[in-house]
Amino acid sequence: MQVARAAPVLGLVFLLLLPVFARYNDYVLQVFTHALLLATLALAWNILGVSGSISLGHAAFFGAGAYTSALLSLDLGVSPWATIPLGGVLAAGIAAIMGLFCLRLRGAYFALATLAFVEIPKVITDNWDGLTRGSLGLVGLPGLPSLRLGSYHFDISGSLAGSYYFVLGYGLVLLLLVTLMFRSNLGLALQAIREEEIAAEAVGIQVQRYRLLSLLLSAFFTGITGACYGHLIRYIEPGLVYGLHFSAMPMIFAICGGRFTILGPALAALVLYPVDQFIFHPLLPAGHEFLYGAVIILAILFMPSGVWGQLRKGHFVSIKTGSIE
Amino acid sequence: MSLLKLEALSKKFGDHWALKEIDFSIDEGEIVGLVGPNGAGKTTLFNLIACRHRPTSGRVLFANEETTLCKPHKIQKLGISRTFQSSRPFAKMSTLDNVVVGRVFGGEFHLFAQSTDIDSARQLLELVGLAHKEQTPAGDLTLSEQRRLDLARALATQPRLLLLDEVVAGFSPVAVKQAVDLVRRVRQRGVTLFIVDHFLSLSLRVSDRLLALDHGEKVAEGRPQEVMRNREVIRAYLGTRYEDE
Amino acid sequence: MWTTVVVSGITLGSFYTLIAMGFALIFGVTRTFNLAHGEVLVLAGYAAYWLWKTSGVSLLFTFPAAVLVALVVCLILQRLFSRLREPLELNSIVMSFGVAILLQNGMLFFFSGDYRLIRVPTFNQGLHFNTLYLSYGQLTLLALSLLVIGLLYLLMRHTYLGKALRATIQDREAAALAGINVGAMGILAFAIGAILIGLAGPLYGCVHYLYPTAGLQATLLAITITIFAGVGRIRGLILGGWILALAESCAVVLFGASWRELVGAVMLITLLALRPQGILGREQ
Repeated sequence: MQVARAAPVLGLVFLLLLPVFARYNDYVLQVFTHALLLATLALAWNILGVSGSISLGHAAFFGAGAYTSALLSLDLGVSPWATIPLGGVLAAGIAAIMGLFCLRLRGAYFALATLAFVEIPKVITDNWDGLTRGSLGLVGLPGLPSLRLGSYHFDISGSLAGSYYFVLGYGLVLLLLVTLMFRSNLGLALQAIREEEIAAEAVGIQVQRYRLLSLLLSAFFTGITGACYGHLIRYIEPGLVYGLHFSAMPMIFAICGGRFTILGPALAALVLYPVDQFIFHPLLPAGHEFLYGAVIILAILFMPSGVWGQLRKGHFVSIKTGSIE
Repeated sequence: MSLLKLEALSKKFGDHWALKEIDFSIDEGEIVGLVGPNGAGKTTLFNLIACRHRPTSGRVLFANEETTLCKPHKIQKLGISRTFQSSRPFAKMSTLDNVVVGRVFGGEFHLFAQSTDIDSARQLLELVGLAHKEQTPAGDLTLSEQRRLDLARALATQPRLLLLDEVVAGFSPVAVKQAVDLVRRVRQRGVTLFIVDHFLSLSLRVSDRLLALDHGEKVAEGRPQEVMRNREVIRAYLGTRYEDE
Repeated sequence: MWTTVVVSGITLGSFYTLIAMGFALIFGVTRTFNLAHGEVLVLAGYAAYWLWKTSGVSLLFTFPAAVLVALVVCLILQRLFSRLREPLELNSIVMSFGVAILLQNGMLFFFSGDYRLIRVPTFNQGLHFNTLYLSYGQLTLLALSLLVIGLLYLLMRHTYLGKALRATIQDREAAALAGINVGAMGILAFAIGAILIGLAGPLYGCVHYLYPTAGLQATLLAITITIFAGVGRIRGLILGGWILALAESCAVVLFGASWRELVGAVMLITLLALRPQGILGREQ
């Protein structure tokens, strides 16, 4: 329990101070920036995950968000600050179509349908050369404009630390939103649906409406992350942003971290990705990602509620208990 | 005035009539027991009233409004709530949260649970004797505690009619006695109760009236003692040999 | 031209059926989805490729090695699957997804990310029947696929083992009550599944480029065909394989090769949407 109390605070202090320590080490900052992005993906994935549905197709939302924002800012010259939310909206639109076909399904069959669904936006993006420039991808995406607060000037795209703090800030905002959502009656409904759908319906929860809502919200924030990713990396292509990587990673982090908790998915991303990059990548340049396969197998066999869920045994998301899990 | 009215209610699964032409009504404030041997159609009748299944023919009227084709979540809004034969707690949620869910979605919707919701959920846990377990995950409760939690959750939706499905099955005599008290207290809150109870341990003690089913057909209704003297009921429960004794 | 489409559709479709059969058998008997199916197939292909490349043996002699590799991997997988808790179907998906990542990275480590192909020179020659052209490669693919499918059909229909397997597929509990060792049937299903994959692997390496992440497409087509057929129906699997391959061939001719991947995905989603309660829902 004490670990569970202290770890988030220590983690936050570490993340806030990291650029100070790592000032001369670009690689460390890049890795943690990407880890933070993956953490936001895991948080967003778990908005759906908490309702009991496992998606293997979130790359569809990630890619849709990335492409929407990239094309609008490239072709129309609109500021990324305006196009990023639109990326989220289009991702939610795609989720609505997905929901139409997939939300009648439960459990394994929902997961299989989402796995197949990614192919649709991917193949369309790949082939609609006139709009998306096809499999060549998009280069030279505009970076994120710097933010001005009075005389203070916050440069995002110009420096690694700027990008890092931007993603950290976005991650914290998303964490706050997810906490509010899970603690609200929406979160209550989603958990009830996950545990006992029939009983949930019997107490008056409109099951399908809430499942759709959680899918849309999850897709919206995944799309926002995808859009930010594009403007940070400045280059996207269908195989990359619709790739299995962005479907698999949030699922793996959420399940290993604990999909019945708020923080677990994000913590898993912030621990596993740096471990992969700093330890396994140098040892095994080809094949280091076996780590993710290994941890998900171990988690599903020995710790189905995830590491963070195990540490907080019996204290999953609750409207009553005070602390953030 | 009758609160619940069943008109020629029938349900067919495949070629098998699970229920056949049931006419019955329950008045506001009554406790009615639904008895009958296994396969008599008791749970099917509950599922029709709670709109989990649709009847093959016939109508259900609740407070003079036809509810035959309602959605399950809608029927709760009209004032019918239920417990399940095998209790279905939200296992990974705390006991308190389980009841709060009932309170929040049974009532007017707010984005966040109000403190009044949590207070009344606590009162219900008090009523069913689970106040000391409010932070325990519901999946860790014992079977009898889960049944009582089911009851508290159903009550939290503030029903006018409560359908109790086998709440005391497998209970010890002491626990049954507690359940009898509990059911009476629930009635005092103004709730009408319809109780399925295969072994009669609860319904014989608390019911004002009984409805007896066998093979999907109504075989008797009336005051408990009368129904239990009814030949058809004895035959249904015990077989023909005991009929004349 | 359309005859070519139909012929190549039937050829490829028979091969698809061969790929899907192991997946369908394992799912039917154990109620677990093996998402690493395609990876095992590609691994078997790599084993054949490696043997063919290093020792120069003919394709025929690579089959035993491929079968052996698939057997070892699948029997380890079976141990893992047998430890899963409920809900079995969903947990098996998550776990085998991890296995797929594991195998992909293993193959990346041993065989690098380069594209490999087993080149059999005679496969590019062929026979002409009027306007129709059939390469020896296609003929081999068709003949071997149909042979293996036929053998499995005989096994399932006319042996005691096959009857026990079919009984387990239809009703595990009743099968167990009738004295069938359901656990052993699970092992057997993985073993037969492995043999089927092992036989398909070298053929796959001849008609498809091998690379570590190639397996997903094969897994998706196996899922699609299995859902199409329902469990325990070999005829359904054959029909599903043909329809999928024909639809793919038509899509390639009408819209271009890059739309091919969409066919299987759309077919799978449509099938699932039409049968939301899943493959086993027919009881209700």
